[in-house]
Amino acid sequence: MRKRDNGFVWSFISKNRASSVSVMSAALIASLLLSLLCSFLYNIWVYDVESVVLEEGDWQARIIGEVSEEEWNQICSFGNIERAVAGEEAVEKLPQTVKVPDEAGEKVPVINLYFRHLHTIYQDMMLVSQKLGLESGRITFHYQLLSMYFIRIPGDDKPRMILPLYALVMLIVSFSLVIVIHNSFAVSMNAKVHQLGILASIGATPRQIRISLIEEAAALCMFPMLAGSLLGIGGGWGLIRMMSALAGQTTGRHDVVFRYHLLIFVLTVLVSMLTVLISAWIPAKKLAKMTPLEAIRGAEEMQLKKKKHSPVLFRLFGIEGELAGNALRAQKKALRTSTISLTLAFLGFAVMLSFFKLSDISTSYTYFARYQDVWDVMTTVKNVRIEDMGFAAALQEAVKEEGASSCVVYQKAEAVAQIPAERISAEVTGLGGVERLAGAQRIQDKGYLIQAQLVILDDAGFMEYCEEIGIVPRLDGAVVINHIWDSVNSNFRYPAYVPYVKEDGGSTILQGEDVLQEGDVLQEGEVNPAYGEQDETVCAEEKAALEIPVIGYTDREPALREEYEDYALVHVMPVSLWKTLSGSTGHGIRVEQNAYIRVLMNRDAQVLAAGESGNQVNTKVEGAITEQTDAKMRLERIEEIIMRKLTPEYDIVTENRVQEKESNDKMIGGYQWIIGVFCSLLAMIGIANVFSYTMGFMRVRRRECARYLSVGMTPASLKKMFRIEMFVIAGRPVLITLPLTVAVIMFMIRASYLNPAEFWQQAPYAPIAAFIAAVFGFVAIAYGIGGRKILRDSLVEALRNEAVM
Amino acid sequence: MEILKCDNIKKVYGSGDNQVKALDGINLSVEKGEFVAIVGASGSGKSTLLHILGGVDAPTEGQVMVDGTDISTMNRTQAAIFRRRKVGFVYQFYNLIPTLTVRRNIQMPLLLDKKKVNEEYFMQVVTSLGIEEKLDFLPSQLSGGQQQRTAIARSLLYRPALLLADEPTGNLDRKNGEEIVDLLKLSNRNLKQTIILITHDEKVALEADRIITIEDGHIIADRKRGDSYEKKR
Repeated sequence: MRKRDNGFVWSFISKNRASSVSVMSAALIASLLLSLLCSFLYNIWVYDVESVVLEEGDWQARIIGEVSEEEWNQICSFGNIERAVAGEEAVEKLPQTVKVPDEAGEKVPVINLYFRHLHTIYQDMMLVSQKLGLESGRITFHYQLLSMYFIRIPGDDKPRMILPLYALVMLIVSFSLVIVIHNSFAVSMNAKVHQLGILASIGATPRQIRISLIEEAAALCMFPMLAGSLLGIGGGWGLIRMMSALAGQTTGRHDVVFRYHLLIFVLTVLVSMLTVLISAWIPAKKLAKMTPLEAIRGAEEMQLKKKKHSPVLFRLFGIEGELAGNALRAQKKALRTSTISLTLAFLGFAVMLSFFKLSDISTSYTYFARYQDVWDVMTTVKNVRIEDMGFAAALQEAVKEEGASSCVVYQKAEAVAQIPAERISAEVTGLGGVERLAGAQRIQDKGYLIQAQLVILDDAGFMEYCEEIGIVPRLDGAVVINHIWDSVNSNFRYPAYVPYVKEDGGSTILQGEDVLQEGDVLQEGEVNPAYGEQDETVCAEEKAALEIPVIGYTDREPALREEYEDYALVHVMPVSLWKTLSGSTGHGIRVEQNAYIRVLMNRDAQVLAAGESGNQVNTKVEGAITEQTDAKMRLERIEEIIMRKLTPEYDIVTENRVQEKESNDKMIGGYQWIIGVFCSLLAMIGIANVFSYTMGFMRVRRRECARYLSVGMTPASLKKMFRIEMFVIAGRPVLITLPLTVAVIMFMIRASYLNPAEFWQQAPYAPIAAFIAAVFGFVAIAYGIGGRKILRDSLVEALRNEAVM
Repeated sequence: MEILKCDNIKKVYGSGDNQVKALDGINLSVEKGEFVAIVGASGSGKSTLLHILGGVDAPTEGQVMVDGTDISTMNRTQAAIFRRRKVGFVYQFYNLIPTLTVRRNIQMPLLLDKKKVNEEYFMQVVTSLGIEEKLDFLPSQLSGGQQQRTAIARSLLYRPALLLADEPTGNLDRKNGEEIVDLLKLSNRNLKQTIILITHDEKVALEADRIITIEDGHIIADRKRGDSYEKKR
């Protein structure tokens, strides 16, 4: 019997070459795309993990500060902790939630922990913390790295949406691909119920039929699936190579090397095989419910279980419309899966494109829109105090000779301002007070503690700034940027500002940030209890608050490439004043490690550089490229001057805007290429599915169409019916997907606080329209191929087949 | 009045060594209102002849005139329109559209022609065939006999020049078979409908006015009811 099963299988395959070729190509294409998508996404994921590790290290959790030997041993003895490594980290790199030890300098000691099983990392760290009696602020996690393994740590408030989005799209698309294989196989199997009925009628047991079906499935699909999976890996390798070639030179990227995991291969093949097996099982199940005679007679027939009308189609297109509607309804299961699959692929495609467009718009807001006109050359001078930088005047003179209009040396510091309640502006009070807007702490009758940021400018730069904002230039006080984001009436994307304080105060009292944690305020000269009496190394002067004279208020920030905290009261002051007031101790105010030099070129150079920054594309202007090169060369000359003046005495990093723009453009180009490839893959998957469905659908309709023709339907009417079906098959997923996509996009727009009109103006209409056109095009091709075959077939043959059945 | 005239019809399938002559010089004339039965062994060419008469297939040689129209040179569209308007087909396996109701199946040729259905005539036909209560059913919900009645109703609704029936009782039990033949006879008699019927069944053939016997693609006998059997060759 076994031998006879094989005979049947091979005879069916050889006699139904068209159907077999269709199943084999569907299996090949689907497994190829599945494998390609898996390997591509796997590589993107590996690349992202590597980037995170390169940037921030491969540790998974951390204990901040020193631990005793006994504590070290306890940590190492934890079952899930694979290893612990002692190291140190720069204070500024630590998250704000971390409690930095008082004695810490610029770097703090840390214990980097690595775990065996990441899924229990949070619980384990809580246990470690409990056992060692650690304060809550001494433990931190590598949130970003852990999120790459789908581990969310409580308290991590960043959205980290990209990986779940990838995973979701991947799942959707895989499901869609599985449906491609299933559809194609199911159609072929359905057509075979007739033959299986004959087999059953001559005594084949259900088991033998099942075996024969599975043998056929294996014989048809095994090779295409293996070949498709291998080709997919090859395709993935090719894509990664191309990506590497395109984006390899971009700064900030590391080398992309193709990686592959055996598990992906096993998973791809397993999913494909399982789909085929299930698809083979379905007709066997169907057959079990029929008598052999029923199977022989009417298996291939498209039947409706209930009487249905297609009144709309009938009214619009006549009997052809009704026939088309009923034919689709009779195949509604296959059509449904195909629609779902295409809808998912289309949704994935449209949502991904829109997501990246939203990111683009968002990036342009957070970066280019804000900083495009405030710098041309930026130099970071590492580990330096601005008051020690005696070169500022000479440097400014040198760069201005080279065409710079402005050169400012500055450094930032973090402090806390103590503002009496009566000095808070009426606008802020009207909006619910500082507590509501900024969550500031009110200390009884003494007022509010507000985060303050200091921008210490070189004296010439400060005088220049005073002139710009219309204040008589003088060096004996600070300028307060007197605005606060009105978070009640505006969002972070389009912020509106109101005055922070009343502009009648002659000074501000500042103190170290630590006071915020201690919850106390000081009078001028009063000792900051945050330093603690036990700390004898901190002198009394250091513990004292600092009164800064204020010479004016403004709402214009100095033209620097800086972003300030939303609710901070920013004080801009000259370095000479800072030097006098802070003395040798700085009053506990934390000054950043690095200082910066910002150079702005004169108007001509600036216009050029701004033109390249994306908002004004002027590349078509004659001679623009030459001018661009000139601008770049001028900026490079400025950089050279800075390098000459500052090295080797200072450790500096310098960058110019044109260069950064070029590098950024290249990175965005590479990024868009990746997104393009990914979205094209999604589109191909959807189209492959609808194509395979349509081809399968057409294959089983020979008899049905012969019947129409026999009662007088003309070929033109038949084509009309096909056209109606084509529009329904292709149009339905599009009609379902468009509102769904709009809903998802609206949700994303709302989440990102962007103005919807801004997105809709730049929405990726062209690729979406191209996808829709491709869907219609491929369905039309499938109908063209299938329809031509049906019309070419001999009507007599089709009718005779029926007669001999 | 001559409604059908076949002049030296030949039909050849395949080529070279595989060539099969299905029809070999058929000459036939049918008068309007005649009820003709074509009999012959399996493979004798009777179904091929019926398909050619119905415009489903084209002859390799010869001319077929139906109601004054030469159908042997028609293109596919012309042939379809001819089938729709001039011929009614009744097949052994009914050939109904499974996704359409009985009503729509019957009205199909008219709907394809975008013609309004004459409700009175429609009801007269379906009532005479006894399927007036099954109009909103799907074919799969009917018995074999009811499906064949539906097929006959469809073939009659356009008042075709020819009603071609290919083994219409072949798939039915004796009682239903007899009823179908009675219905065909009734339409022949009452509506003056010309009928050409193919059958294996001698008893069914004997109900016709004229019996034509085909063998190996030739007409070997053509007799009126009551005539004695006489081989032509």
